Amino acid sequence: MRREVPEGATEVRIRIGGPAGFGIKAAGQSLARVFARSGFETFDLTEYPSLIKGGHNTYHLRVSDTPIYSHVLDTDVLVALDEPTVGLHLDELTEGGAIVFDPKAFDAAQVDGVDADHHCLVPVPLDDIVYEVGGVKIMRNVAALGAVLGYIGFPLEPLADSIRQQFAHKAPEIAEQNIAAATKGYEFSREHDCAFPHNLQPLSDRPARMLVDGNEAFGIGALAAGVGLYCAYPMTPASSLLHFMAKHGEREGVVVKHTEDELAAMNMVVGGAFAGTRSMCATSGGGFSLMVEAFGFAGVSESACVVGLFTRPGPATGLPTWTEQSDLRFALHAAQGEFPRVVLAPGDHDDAFHLTWQAFNLADQLQTPVILLGDSYLSDNRRTTAPFDTSAVTVERGKLVAEGDIADHPEALAEDGRYLRYKITDDGLSVRALPGVKGAQQIVNSYEHDEVGWGAPGEDAPTRVAQNDKRMRKLELARTLVPPPARFGPESADLSILLFGTTKMPVLQALDWLAEDGVTINVMQVVTVWPFPAEEVSTFLDAAGTTAIIEGNHTGQLQGLVREQCLRDVDHTLHRYDGRPFSPEQVTEWVKEVLA
Amino acid sequence: MPAVKEFVTTQKPTWCPGCGNFGMWEALKRALSQLGWEKHEFVAFWGIGCHGNGADFLDVQGFHALHGRALPPATAVALTRPDLKVIVQMGDGDGYGLGMGHFVHTLRRNVNLTCLAHNNQIYGLTTGQASPTTEHLAKTVSTPSGVLEQPVNPIGLALAEGATFVARGFAGDIPHLTELYKRALTHEGFALVDVFQPCVTWNKVNTFQWFRERVYKLEDESWDTSDRSAAFDLSLSTFHDLTCTPEECRVPIGIYYEKTGEPTYEQGLEATKVPGWHRAMNPRDVEHIIRSLT
Ligand SMILES: Cc1ncc(C[n+]2csc(CCOP(=O)(O)OP(=O)(O)O)c2C)c(N)n1
Ligand code: SF4
Repeated sequence: MRREVPEGATEVRIRIGGPAGFGIKAAGQSLARVFARSGFETFDLTEYPSLIKGGHNTYHLRVSDTPIYSHVLDTDVLVALDEPTVGLHLDELTEGGAIVFDPKAFDAAQVDGVDADHHCLVPVPLDDIVYEVGGVKIMRNVAALGAVLGYIGFPLEPLADSIRQQFAHKAPEIAEQNIAAATKGYEFSREHDCAFPHNLQPLSDRPARMLVDGNEAFGIGALAAGVGLYCAYPMTPASSLLHFMAKHGEREGVVVKHTEDELAAMNMVVGGAFAGTRSMCATSGGGFSLMVEAFGFAGVSESACVVGLFTRPGPATGLPTWTEQSDLRFALHAAQGEFPRVVLAPGDHDDAFHLTWQAFNLADQLQTPVILLGDSYLSDNRRTTAPFDTSAVTVERGKLVAEGDIADHPEALAEDGRYLRYKITDDGLSVRALPGVKGAQQIVNSYEHDEVGWGAPGEDAPTRVAQNDKRMRKLELARTLVPPPARFGPESADLSILLFGTTKMPVLQALDWLAEDGVTINVMQVVTVWPFPAEEVSTFLDAAGTTAIIEGNHTGQLQGLVREQCLRDVDHTLHRYDGRPFSPEQVTEWVKEVLA
Repeated sequence: MPAVKEFVTTQKPTWCPGCGNFGMWEALKRALSQLGWEKHEFVAFWGIGCHGNGADFLDVQGFHALHGRALPPATAVALTRPDLKVIVQMGDGDGYGLGMGHFVHTLRRNVNLTCLAHNNQIYGLTTGQASPTTEHLAKTVSTPSGVLEQPVNPIGLALAEGATFVARGFAGDIPHLTELYKRALTHEGFALVDVFQPCVTWNKVNTFQWFRERVYKLEDESWDTSDRSAAFDLSLSTFHDLTCTPEECRVPIGIYYEKTGEPTYEQGLEATKVPGWHRAMNPRDVEHIIRSLT
């Protein structure tokens, strides 16, 4: 389905495609930077459809002068660094859309389906340009970027500035060589006689935007929260968070450890919590599978820690570079036994920042593990957003005694003066005295235990029940502390949609589009998926006319929760589990269908 | 300076009478007392197994980890609490079976902690199955026709992976073990003391008697603790078969190898130099990172 850009708005969608290893993502991201710094909104989607024809990489960039919420399917300018790219993406080219290609490499006019009446062919001798400026092959990208700007009539200077900045630490000739390649590409593509419908010029009246991907947002949130230990074993899509933390860790005072495996990562995090250090690890489903026992250990030992679970399609190795929302139930049920946990599901980049620092507070306040449930769609993709509002960040460490003498905290002591790490209290919270505090002898224990932490007396039936009840009381407390569901759209609407996580982005985009078409939807995003906000969800669904759930999995995991927690169902469901995120086009079309 | 008896809790030890864990417990209490370590100056970790039940009996600031996984959380404390010393106690099944990966990787990092292995060459708590250090061909409930694998050589592994303090003790010689512990606890870097700790209930071969007839002290033979290759050769010779006589197989105890002045993992990172909780007193200023993305 095509989506016309509304009257008065300017939007350009660019796709760069080619064989893996051509620096396509890096090139695309510098283009995004150019537009973002020129006042535009951008949203990118990097795809590695490695199963289609020999390892093709593509980068899709949406650029707009009005607010946008997600990627889209259309492409106006297709940069084809090889011939297969044309065939693979021809069907998404808009009327009059351009194909930028190197005529020495192949002739785009000869590709099946290419039609000079509907497509604009922009031959740019990328290889020759690189040769002329004396550069290396990878500079084809830069020449292509110049060509894109030339074609759409955007000034070259912002790209030149960006190149200079990018190569500032290298010899000045390198920057100049790249700029020369970009300039030649630019000049080549200016001379085309296709009618390009939009005139993009830098916008000077816009507030500064930041260009950030989900993992950077998680990382900045964790840094703001005062994280002191980050442990991880690389696994897509969480790896770039490890890279981010490693890059900033030493300067910011974070011990960052690439561990031998995920078992070590999660067990280290529990040890870090014992030390009083704000500790975090992140991984995808496979790594979290290995962390599960230690995750339960964090629960029974009342260890405050944060775990990022960034879903890719499973089970097992699954589809490493694609996205899904199939780990909701896994996050809710991981580990044997019962213990309180909090699961937060950010819907976009701003959520990722704010929920991360809040996750650290919740973990400390509740002395229990908190999961940040994300996915590849969020982790990998970069968009413009308002600079994160750090004035909102607080550090709440809960009932923590970090230094001094435990004798000064009589509420934490038994009658005989002994410190009780797991003292039974009304709200389930005990004073957490760190090692190093005088007199705070304790055992933080993976066994069930008594108030001191001793294991053997924990086998006593009443003690077991008392400790289990104490821990579970914290879940009731959690309900009063966790972020509530978020509401979008009008109070009443033709269709009310319940969702969690990153489905928020395409659905909010569809909300705008549908409104233009006279269809109204409203949305409830379940931000805290555990403890489940049954009351708010019920109220939302009860007030609705027609109801729906959209979620990126096969079995309807959110729907199952609604049935279980709210004792009701919804009228319609939309699922997706092919590794691709929902697109706003798909959502728009589906909403119209179910309302028809 | 805490007296030995101050390290005892009100919990009565549940080990079988005569268990080698008693000797290790006693030696550790004595070493801590003699070194004058106050209870808020160090933390103790245990894995899961009979040895781990000792977590209830030693009055310290402690952490009873998962089976096989005492080293990772102990590493986390070593890396984020420069103000605390770290002691890890692990079983042979625990540390050389499930935890083998952590053992090897912690070794090669030279993290500043002391690792005391309760090596009874059997799974005690789970009633007598073969452990990674059970001798070749030994019959156990899980290996009725005899263990077909060669036993793990923890001393050799530790030497191969660059451990800077490698020693072996015997739970039947508490004064000697106490001295070994004191040396290990004050060593800067990863210190391993693998301790023969007879399990009187499940291991009927490697008994106190068996060891008493075979152990000798390296220091009595003026062993050169700086010779890593010789220490490695010696680690290979300390394996014994079930039928060897005391004359044929002698078991060395004491310090095999020691190297001081090697950089620890912590020394390589500035971020380790401040207690981790100091990092979270207030929100960290991240404006410069946000600015770099605008
Ligand atoms: C993941 C996991 N698997 C299995 C067990 C059961 N288990 C408890 S202790 C133990 C073996 C103990 O042997 P060892 O480490 O040699 O210690 P010992 O009891 O001899 O001191 C096993 C298999 C467990 N607790 N956790
Ligand atoms: S089973 Fe063996 S190791 Fe366990 S307490 Fe008894 S004697 Fe000691």
